[in-house]
Amino acid sequence: MAVCIAVIAKENYPLYIRSTPMENELKFHYMVHTSLDVVDEKISAMGKALVDQRELYLGLLYPTEDYKVYGYVTNSKVKFVMVVDSSNTALRDNEIRSMFRKLHNSYTDVMCNPFYNPGDRIQSRVFDNMVTSMMIQVC
Amino acid sequence: MSVPDYMQCAEDHQTLLVVVQPVGIVSEENFFRIYKRICSVSQLSMRDSQRALFIRYRHHYPPENNEWGDFQTHRKVVGLITITDCFSAKDWPQTFEKFHVQKEIYGSTLYDSRLFVFGLQGEVAEQPRPDVAFYPSYEDCDSVEKCIEDFIESLFIVLESKRLDRATDKSGDKIPLLCVPFEKKDFVGLDTDSRHYKKRCQGRMRKHVGDLCLQAGMLQDSLVHYHMSVELLRSVNDFLWLGAALEGLCSASVIYHYPGGTGGKTGARRLQGSSLPAEAANRHRPGAQEVLIDPGALTTNGINPDTSAEIGRAKNCLSPEDIIDKYKEAISYYSKYKNAGVIELEACVKAVRVLAIQKRSMEASEFLQNAVYINLRQLSEEEKIQRYSILSELYELIGFHRKSAFFKRVAAMQCVAPSISEPGWRACYKLLLETLPGYSLSLDPKDFNKGTHRGWAAVQMRLLHELVYASRRMGNPALSVRHLSFLLQTMLDFLSDQEKKDVTQSLENYTSKCPGTMELLTLPDGLMLPPVPFTKLPIVKHVKLLSLPTSLRPQKMKSLLGQNMSTKSPFIYSPIIAHNRGEEKNKKIDFQWVQGDVCEVQLMVYNPMPFELRVENMGLLTSGVEFEALPAALSLPAESGLYPVTLVGVPQTTGTITVNGYRTTVFGIFSDCLLDNLLGVKTSGSTVEVIPALPRLQISTSLPRSAHSLQPSSGDEISTNVSVQLYNGETQKLIITLENIGMEPLETLEVTSKILSTKEKLYGDFLSWKLEETLAQFPLQPGKVATLAVSIKAKLDFSCQENLLQDLSDDGLSVSGFPLSSPFRQVVRPRMESRPATASEGSKVGDLSHLKTLEAVLSFKYSGGPGHVEGYYRNLSLGLHVEVEPSVFFTRVSTLPATSTRQCHLLLDIFNSTEHELTVSARHNEELILHASECQRMAIQVDKFNFESVPESPGEKGQFASPKQLEEERQEARGLEINSKLDIHWRIPSLKRSGEASVEGLLNQLILEHLQLAPLQWDVLVGGQLCDCDAAAACPVGDPVRLEVRLTNQSPRSVGPFALTVVPFQDHQNGVRNYDLQDTVSFVGSSTFCLEAVQPSGQSACLGALLFLYTGDFFLHIRFQEDSRSKELPPSWFCLPSVHVRALEVQA
Repeated sequence: MAVCIAVIAKENYPLYIRSTPMENELKFHYMVHTSLDVVDEKISAMGKALVDQRELYLGLLYPTEDYKVYGYVTNSKVKFVMVVDSSNTALRDNEIRSMFRKLHNSYTDVMCNPFYNPGDRIQSRVFDNMVTSMMIQVC
Repeated sequence: MSVPDYMQCAEDHQTLLVVVQPVGIVSEENFFRIYKRICSVSQLSMRDSQRALFIRYRHHYPPENNEWGDFQTHRKVVGLITITDCFSAKDWPQTFEKFHVQKEIYGSTLYDSRLFVFGLQGEVAEQPRPDVAFYPSYEDCDSVEKCIEDFIESLFIVLESKRLDRATDKSGDKIPLLCVPFEKKDFVGLDTDSRHYKKRCQGRMRKHVGDLCLQAGMLQDSLVHYHMSVELLRSVNDFLWLGAALEGLCSASVIYHYPGGTGGKTGARRLQGSSLPAEAANRHRPGAQEVLIDPGALTTNGINPDTSAEIGRAKNCLSPEDIIDKYKEAISYYSKYKNAGVIELEACVKAVRVLAIQKRSMEASEFLQNAVYINLRQLSEEEKIQRYSILSELYELIGFHRKSAFFKRVAAMQCVAPSISEPGWRACYKLLLETLPGYSLSLDPKDFNKGTHRGWAAVQMRLLHELVYASRRMGNPALSVRHLSFLLQTMLDFLSDQEKKDVTQSLENYTSKCPGTMELLTLPDGLMLPPVPFTKLPIVKHVKLLSLPTSLRPQKMKSLLGQNMSTKSPFIYSPIIAHNRGEEKNKKIDFQWVQGDVCEVQLMVYNPMPFELRVENMGLLTSGVEFEALPAALSLPAESGLYPVTLVGVPQTTGTITVNGYRTTVFGIFSDCLLDNLLGVKTSGSTVEVIPALPRLQISTSLPRSAHSLQPSSGDEISTNVSVQLYNGETQKLIITLENIGMEPLETLEVTSKILSTKEKLYGDFLSWKLEETLAQFPLQPGKVATLAVSIKAKLDFSCQENLLQDLSDDGLSVSGFPLSSPFRQVVRPRMESRPATASEGSKVGDLSHLKTLEAVLSFKYSGGPGHVEGYYRNLSLGLHVEVEPSVFFTRVSTLPATSTRQCHLLLDIFNSTEHELTVSARHNEELILHASECQRMAIQVDKFNFESVPESPGEKGQFASPKQLEEERQEARGLEINSKLDIHWRIPSLKRSGEASVEGLLNQLILEHLQLAPLQWDVLVGGQLCDCDAAAACPVGDPVRLEVRLTNQSPRSVGPFALTVVPFQDHQNGVRNYDLQDTVSFVGSSTFCLEAVQPSGQSACLGALLFLYTGDFFLHIRFQEDSRSKELPPSWFCLPSVHVRALEVQA
């Protein structure tokens, strides 16, 4: 269902980015990169709200003709961006939320690995498998 | 209406559009000079009213846009200014005609027009015409601005009259229906009398009046009119015009809320133009709070002409939030009409500008998103570029840098789209450069030194590739080389193997035409492109400055060093100083380089590329000292591990040199890599002192060089090794040739030697030399040669380590026995006989024949030139490896007493262990010939030694040495003395080699005792004649002969008393001795003598007399009485000479 999943560091560089292999990879890079503008904007707007009340899910960042881009930000300002096919109307907001939560949990596991250097590219196989499962899940 | 004006902003609604155009042939330069002057008059306050008029000038305006002038009056061209050249009156009518033609184009909407004629003088110019102004030239036209102001005033009059005309239209009159071009056909045949139609006409007209009011500077009025228009049009569902009315409302509100303007540049121009915005605020604000009129109270039928100043209402004005809502609404209405795409697009742009000012980026992005999807008719390529650039600009405006960069890049790509016949690579490149910040990419490689690159590698790499391509197509190879090398350097970790190959391939192609330099490239627009040093091709992991090789390493004279230390601190050790030194050490390395000598720096490099990397011109970058770097070229295998590379250079001056980095040429790119900028490089300091030049000495010897290297014992490194094979005892001359191969004169030389292996006992001086002759040739100029002769004397133990003592005691020919015959008469026994134990002997020989090695180091300390003045010297070591083959052995040593008590015979069993015939000779002795592996005995008569006369070993040394050592030393000294007396030599005639043999090692205490003169010296005098040896003392028969026995005590204690008996006998030479001599010899007095006790160094004598009765040869045997002899004294002390007396007839 998701065609591209990216994890972006606090400093806005990618920690992990995967897209469906047959698609033009660069296109998704551009898409995720430009979506960060919106993420930044949303975070800065949210900054005024209390930390504990903050909603991690950012919702739809922007729709394009073929895709919808969703965003999610952790409390440590790590961003998750997910691109889904806009033809896939069956996908509800709640499902997107649960996917993000799953992604967040998996990311937390990666961070718990004492051999992982925060800020490095994520190369965990478990994380990779999880992303793959989210990408091929048939709608 | 097809051409959108992307620069539009809300303020443009209050402007009047004036087109300025050239007619005939006017040079662009002149036209724009005038155009600029015209544009400076963009707003004007009317004299009689407090209103201001804003003018928008265009030099190009599509007439079809003009057709939308009724819809929004700011789109209507109301003024035309024409500029023309005219030099003669003859051309004048023609020119004037052209002006009229031009006027026709916008004729329907024009309020007024002007023609500026340049160059014409004379009577034509004299005729005053209201719409024509004559100027003699483009320089001489001071009144242009004045003329424009007049023109604007005339426009204002027309505008004001139109406004009043429209506003005062009574309801009874038939209001014409205003419509946009595409609507015209829709209204054909419509019932013009219906209420619905009338309302539509009214609403549209109301909106039109609002526009006019706004243009005429009556903001409040326009707001009222717009409100009413909205009401009217909403009721009749005239969506297009409703949208326009709403937009008008928004524009008026924006103008009210944001007097600074929303259009960026235009707003700024307005601000600087005059103090009007503030003025405008003053003008509106007072009235704003005053009255509130219900819009409903206004009659829908009539429009009050005096709605102006007094009823200025803030309530009619939209709040900032409402503005956006209304814009949204207007745009949604516009979007219903496909033909109003441009209007919709422009409304979006205007709304975004307003939102940017309100800092509501999210909503602005939604408007922009919408604008992106507005599909206009097929756009030309240029329009596409314009559209993308403006989108990028607007995104930038709302702070969406990434989005902005994205669109800028799209615009750049559009510049060179394949459908364009003349691709604008320059523009494309310029636009691409502008996208760099959006992709957080700087072109300074220093920003990438901080660790692994973190960024959008895929996207950034794409951009760099595009930059490379664009710059190449632009025809600037230096730029493309710079970009490509930047790509390779910074994105190396992200490139796949294939990409690495491709990139380097193309880089090599480019650099073959234009090599990459280390210079800063400056683009025409001022952007600096810093140089890109290839610090990753190859990657340097470790930098180490190497000291000079040991033979060239300079050393400081000890004394000077001591001084240095003492000046530093009075303490031998202090933790504070130690700490400081530690810090210093980090920077400075504790060895020196020498001026003029090749110095080395070792780098550990690594090739990250999947193919062989050729690095050329790799040299050092240094500072502090003039340094001549000698570049090296290397070729690193693919994905090599750490690979050591040595870079060399010669310091030309003295001082402190710092190695800053290195320089390479890779793929045609010259790079200067500074160590400070390198990541993860381990250095052990990079600063070294360079001391003044020193000479260089090269030694060569007469001996062959040896592959055999000495084991490094004390850290001395030996530059040359020579080896020689010698027979034990042989002496060889070693000629050492000293050549000064440096550039400085060699002034001083010191030679020392050190023997390394001390296992073997060595006798005599192993190495000896005379330095004086060599030093006489000094100073040695460069290139000159001196020689030094060193003699090598290999003198090892000649004993065969047998238990000699045991042999001696076995020997029948021993010590105390009275020798009856001279040893000379003794037949030398054949070896076979003398040595029954040949078998054991043979095996022993096998043992002994193995080689012994001696190793020594000759050190040459030399100095000269400026380095000598500074107190430095160099040390050159020559390793000497001597293999000592055994020559002769003394298998057994024994002594035989000689006939004289002062002499004795030394018997040496000499064994020839060589494979050659060998002759042995000793002093005063004939040569003894020994065949290979033959053993023979040699007897040497020697005088006994008075060892006490040998000076005691140097007193001082003796005091501290243990008694045992003292004894050993004494023995050594004795051995030396004996040896020098013996002077035994051997010679191998077949090899023409000769040498000495030494007995030093094999003399033991017993033999020494035998060789030593007894401390009790006995002298026997017969008739006052000293008797010794074989010489017979002659004495007359019949006369008593005086016999005197003298004793000299040289022992440290008193001896005696002794009783001596003289026994005469005759030797028949056949083994029979006749002791029965009472008849022939008689004693005068007693035959027994008594000697008193003798004190140390005392002398005593006893006298007796003998009477020989017959002639003949007699021997006197002087015997000690058994009891009187002190048992404790060694028997050799009581060795009296035998006396041989020949009694002769007395000559008458």
